[in-house]
Parts: sequence; structure tokens; C-alpha cells
Amino acid sequence: MQQHERRIVRIENIVKDFRPGFGLRVKRVLHGISLDVNDGEIFGFVGPNGSGKTTTLKVLMGLIRATSGEATILGHSVTETAFRREIGFLPENPYFYSHLTGREILGFFAKLSGVTRGRRKARISELLEWVGLDHAADSRLETYSKGMLQRLGIAQALVHDPRVVFLDEPMSGLDPIGRVEIRDLVLRLRSEGKTVFMNTHILHDVEMLCDRVAIIVEGRIRYQGVIEDLVGSGLHEVDIVAANLSPETVLELEDRLAAKLRGVGERVEIRVAEKEVNDTLRCVLAAGGEVVSVTRHRVSLESFFLSTVEGGSEIGE
Amino acid sequence: MRDWIHSWHRYIVAVIAISLTAFAHSAMDTSAEDDLSRIFLPEAAHAQLWSLGFDTVLADYYWLQALQLVGGERGDTAQHIAMIGEMVELITTLDPWGGGPYRFAAIWMTDSKQSVRTANRLLERSIAHIPTDWRSRYYLGFNYFFYLEENGKAADAFEAALGLEGVPRYLGALAARLRMNEGGLEMAADFLAEFARTTSDDFTRVEYLKALDEVETERGARKLDAAREEYWRRHGEDIRDVHDLLRGPAPILTQLPPAHPHFDFPVWRIDEQSGQIVSSFYRSRYHLHRADHDEERRERWRSMQEPDARAS
Amino acid sequence: MKSLARIWTIAMNTLREAVRNKLLYALLFFGVAVILAGVVLSALSYVESERILQDFGFAAIRLFSVAIAIFVGVTLIHREVERRTVYAILSKPLSRAEFLLGKYVGLLVTIWLQMAIMVVFFVAVSLVTGAPLDAGHAAAFALIAAELAVIVAVATFFSAFTTPMLASFFSIGIWALGHMTRDLRDIGASSISESVQSTTALIHRVMPDLESFNFATEAAHGLAFAASDVWLPLLYGVGYVSVLLVAAIGIFERRDLR
Repeated sequence: MQQHERRIVRIENIVKDFRPGFGLRVKRVLHGISLDVNDGEIFGFVGPNGSGKTTTLKVLMGLIRATSGEATILGHSVTETAFRREIGFLPENPYFYSHLTGREILGFFAKLSGVTRGRRKARISELLEWVGLDHAADSRLETYSKGMLQRLGIAQALVHDPRVVFLDEPMSGLDPIGRVEIRDLVLRLRSEGKTVFMNTHILHDVEMLCDRVAIIVEGRIRYQGVIEDLVGSGLHEVDIVAANLSPETVLELEDRLAAKLRGVGERVEIRVAEKEVNDTLRCVLAAGGEVVSVTRHRVSLESFFLSTVEGGSEIGE
Repeated sequence: MRDWIHSWHRYIVAVIAISLTAFAHSAMDTSAEDDLSRIFLPEAAHAQLWSLGFDTVLADYYWLQALQLVGGERGDTAQHIAMIGEMVELITTLDPWGGGPYRFAAIWMTDSKQSVRTANRLLERSIAHIPTDWRSRYYLGFNYFFYLEENGKAADAFEAALGLEGVPRYLGALAARLRMNEGGLEMAADFLAEFARTTSDDFTRVEYLKALDEVETERGARKLDAAREEYWRRHGEDIRDVHDLLRGPAPILTQLPPAHPHFDFPVWRIDEQSGQIVSSFYRSRYHLHRADHDEERRERWRSMQEPDARAS
Repeated sequence: MKSLARIWTIAMNTLREAVRNKLLYALLFFGVAVILAGVVLSALSYVESERILQDFGFAAIRLFSVAIAIFVGVTLIHREVERRTVYAILSKPLSRAEFLLGKYVGLLVTIWLQMAIMVVFFVAVSLVTGAPLDAGHAAAFALIAAELAVIVAVATFFSAFTTPMLASFFSIGIWALGHMTRDLRDIGASSISESVQSTTALIHRVMPDLESFNFATEAAHGLAFAASDVWLPLLYGVGYVSVLLVAAIGIFERRDLR
């Protein structure tokens, strides 16, 4: 029972086919994906554009129907509507009726979500302050900047105080300050005990915010797990910057030690796994090369992500 | 400075453009209203299908067009009259409940018996859709009486109008006179008696009873006419006075009929102008009254129709 | 009960959005202009000018209300999907049926309000010119309102699954056909081909028989009418709207909102 309660979102073997045009041709967008989101965590759903992130989220929101498979939120099938009182959703690039003011639009969503008349006013003021829009509460949405709309979108998702919040690309199209603001809001959500499911392709944000991630590529889950398992598990890389390397040496390094090389002006940056550092240094020095610097760092999510996307191998499952 | 020059250019272009437009437009022949073929008249059934429920407005549009047709002083009347017939046909197919166009057609479509018959067909449609309007029956009766000289049908149309709201009180008596022309005095009397019996309006009933008095008087006058004829046969000369009919060893009449059924003072006399025996009460005989100018109009119309009659 | 409250919330928001649509005011302006122009036009006739005035008034109300219903109605659902407002709305505890009904009611209220404005002008012009106003006029307005309810339902129906462009073509087509079916049936009935007869009769049965809501002629002529001339078309309208909305909901519920 406890176990069941902890799994807030469950997706099992979801397949989605689209029929573009009127033909019989079927395009499979999701190839049987499965994932779980646990209570109280920030879950990052990561993948390149067109990989099926938004499609998955739309299946969860009941906006599109899965061809097969099952998806539940808080134990309810996503085709139901009543349980949505417990969830909030920020669509990608949210657009709301531009003729309404921030306060009006929140009032509209609050009514739809069944927030009682008595609570509505206080809740809206509270939220507007929470997302930092209290100064613009009574301006029409057409005067809002993208960042303000995004924050209003979050306020809208939270207006009925849901347990689970789904965010689709919450940082997209925002300037650095806007991104920091949204990031702070997401972290505050976790501190309030809410579960957050976040679609994004901005890995830096995932690294900073998410407890667990799933990586989706071309409609298939390539990795699902805790970020710490991935980047904090002693898996480290070392960047060696060297000069005066002959082409032969470069080839030898690539072949023998699986090093990744990148030219930096006269110099070459060599990225190798930690255990290969000594061999690499020996090889460079023996060939008459000059070592400029050696830097040890954690594997970034980005390089992991890139290798996942390019490699096509299933990792961590 | 440059801006100033530029704005000047713009004004010049504007002036040239306006003058060009005005010239071209004024040079165009926009006075094409005479050309009747320009008025697009759809077939009534098609118009009904394509009017999409805007039948009445379409009818109004053609109605206003039809008014323009006779309102101006343009073109050939005969052609206009044919057009009016088609227009009113279209108008009344689209909206059969407007009384105006039917009467409009009846007023204007009098150039030939054929036109009058077309107008009458439209009036029949009017009667079918607006049975409570006395005017279409009245117009129909008038057309039969005046142009087609079919007094029986005229009387039919007038009689059908009796009892409708707004109908003139004299109409029943007029119908009876038409009946007399068609089927004799007794027929007129029967109709009048029937009208008097069935009308709900006392004033109208008085009119009928008065007409019946006149018919009664006419009966007397006709008896005198017959006696006068007999007198002529016997004596070879006309009477000088109605009392001649009572004189002599074997008078033709023993007694004069009353010159009015209810009053004693009227007497019979011979009208100087017509030479007819008339009651001094009515001073003329019971017949279809026609004013002189009406009679002239009818003669003109008859002479106009003659080529038609010869052709057919 | 909660469901009604949600439908009403959507409806009122739709109304609020629609009254900010400039197209609505343009069409409303022309509608009122035609009603007023009727005063001048009717003066051209020497008889029945009050009736001609009211013919124009009724035509303006019908034409411009239908135009508003179609052109504002077809963008109804599509714009919500295109601008993605629908995503946030449908993620709330609200069924698609409630959403669609809310949009329908909202648009209908909008159309009825603008119609009411034109009716006010109609009545004012009639009073000024001394044209008669009686129960027939009230019945004609009620039936125009019913026709609009059907047209809005048609627009909503198409809006639930096609683009505004196609939806407006279809809606205008249905509206036009709906005013022709009676004549078509009568033309078909006189055909010697039995298949033509049955086809035109079927079209008349299936397509909305919008001529049954056309009471303007009777009203303007002050013709006598029976109560069933009014309540039967109203009943027919309610039935037809229900069928269309149920179908629209069925389609919209199955639709993937991509």
C-alpha cells in the first residue's frame, strides 16, 4: 500500500500512433514507454525536440488518447476528469485569453477547478504574490512579457493547490533572469511537498532541479533513474590539454584509449575516462608533446545525454 | 526639404488619380436604366429556391423596381407592361401576401385584353392568398366589367367581395345591376333580396333595400314601356303623357303602377332627353350607370382593341 | 450542478472573448445600418411601406446574426486548440463535453445579445414610423433565435473537428441548403424519377429545415397563425440542436488535441 502511494504517476507500455493526413499510413510516435514518478520528487523528462515528450505529457493530461498501454495519476486513469482537482498543468508556451487580466484569468481557472467562492479571492492574491505578478494583476495579458506569462501559467496550474504539477518546457523562451525565477518557483514547489513532472530539453536545469530523470529518444525511454546514480557515482572524466601533438599521436590516442579530441587553437583538448589518465599522459609525453593542464570533473548530464542519443544503446535499465 | 518635395509628389499623384477616376467615370455611359434587359428577372421558381428565406426582401426589391418602371418617363409602354406582368408574377410568387403588387398590375396592365387577363390571373392569386381583402375582388370585377365586358363574371367577383371588411356599400347594388344586364331584372331582384337577408350591417341592408325599391320601380317602368309599345301599335303614334295609357274606350292599362313602392308623391313622366318613361323619384331608369368620360374611355379602349379582335 | 457551473464559467468567458471580436461589431453595424436604411427604401413604395420596412429589418437581423454565428462560431474550438488555451482548460476537472457545451452556450448568448440589439433598433424604427408590432413579431423573433441556435450548433459541430475555413464553408452550405430543402423537395416531388423524389425528400428530412423558422413574412404581413406554427418549430430546433451537440461532443471527445 505504501509502495503504491509513493508512485504518483505510472505509465505502462504506452504506444501512440498518429495518422498523418487521411491515408492509412500510421506513424508511431511512442513505442511502448513506461515510467514512474514518485511522491515529492521533481522528475525530469528529457529528450530532443520531437522525441515524444510533449506527446507523453498530453497522454497524461488526457488531451490525446494512447493507442495502447495504461497511464494513471494518483491511481486514476488519465481518461477520468474528476481527479484533475489534484493536478496542475503548465502547457508549453502557454497562451491565455489576452483580453483578460491576470486576476481574471486566475479567477476563471479557479472556478473551473472548483475552488469555492470564499477561498478564491484570497488564493488568487496569494498566488499572484507567490509568482511575483501582484503588481501586474490587473493588467491585461496582452501587456505581459513571456516570462510573466510563464509565471502566470504556473500560477494557473497551482490555483487549486494540486498535489502534482506537470510543466511542459517551463524555461523555454525565457531570458536568464526569467529562468532563474522559474527555477526558484519549481524548487519552492518541492519544498511545499508537491510532486513535479517537468518536460525539458535544457539539461542544465535538469541537473540543477531534478531528483530523477527519464531520457526519451525517438519515442523510446533510453534511461530512467536518479541523477546522482548517473553523475555522482564516481564516474569522472579528465580533460587534458596538450600541445605539439603529431597527427600520429592523435590517431593513437583515439584508437587505443577511446579519447575524445577537440582542437583548441594550437592545442588539443583530450577527454578521457579517469582510469586512462596515466596512459594518456605517458603517450603524450613520449611523443614529444607538452601537457598544458589536467582537469578532473564529473560526467555532465549533457555528455551523458549526447552519448545516449547518439549511441542508441539502452543504459541504466 | 526632401520630405517637402516628396509630399508634393504624392499630392500630384493623388490629384492625377482623382481626375483620372472622375473623368473615366463621367465618360462612362451610366444612364443605362432605359435598357430593360438590364433588369435581371429570374424565373419565379428559381428565385424561390435561391432566395434562401429572403423571399420577401427580394420581392420588395422587384416591387421597388416595378414602381420605378412606371414612375419615370422612359421607353415603350407596351414593353413596360409586359415587364410589369413578369415582375408582379415574380413578386407575388416570392411573397403572395402583399396586396399592393396585384392591384398595381391590375391598374397598369390594361393595354390589351391579354394583359387584362394576365392581371386577372394575378388577382385570382391574390384572392387565394388574401381572401379577406375586398379590393382584389373589386379590381377583378372591374376588369371583367369594363375591359372584358363579361358582366356575369364581374358580378361574381363583386358578390364575393360583399361582407368583407371595408367593402363599399354600393357594391351589392352594383353587382345586382350587372346581374340585370346579364340575366334580367328578376335575377337582380333575387340577388338583392338575398344580399339584404344575409348582410350583418344594417346600413348596408338599407342600401340593398333601396336598390330593391329601384328594381321594383323599374318593373313598373317596364310594364309602362310594354303598354307604350301597344299604344304605338294601336294608334300609330307615341303617347304624349303616361296618362294616355289610361285614356280611351279600351285603355291599355286600368291603373298606373306606383312610381315608387313606398312613397306616393313620385309620378311617372317621359324624360325629355332620353324619351324614356322614368319615375320622378329616380329621374332615370335602372341600368348600369356610366359617367360620360368613362364611356368615352371605354370607346377609346374598344377601338384600340379592334385590330386585336380582327387578328384573332 | 457543479457541471452546470463549469459550463456557465466557460460560457461566460466565451461571451467575454466574443464581445471583444471586432468582426462582431462590424457585422452588427451593418445590420443596424440596413434596418435604418429600410426607412428610406420603404419610402419608395406607395403601399405597404411599413411592411417593406419590417421586411428589411427582419432580413438584416437574420442575415447578420447568421453571419456572426458562422464566422465567430467556426473559430470557436479551433482557436482554443491552435492557441493552446484548451490544454490548460482541459487539464482542469472539466470534461470535454462540458467545455464544448460551455463554448456553445457562450456563443449562443453572444449571438442572442447582438440580435437583441438589432431587435431594439427594429422596434424603435417600427415605433417611429408607426409600423405595427404584435404577437406575430414576437413569434418571428423567437423563431429567428431558434434558427440561430441551430446555426450556432452547426458551426460548433464543424468547429469540433475541422479548420475554421472548412467549417465556415460547411456551415454556410448547410445554412443555404437548409433554406432550400423545402423547395427542393417540392421540385423533386414533381420529378418522374422515384430516386430523385426520395433523395430530395431525404435531404429535406435530414438537413435542418431552416425555413420552418422563417416567420418574418407572416409577421410583417400580420397574418393569422396558430400556436403550433411557433412551438412545433421551437421543438424541432431544440431537437436538432441536441442531436448536433451530441454528435459534436462525440467527435470532440475522440479527437486528439495535438
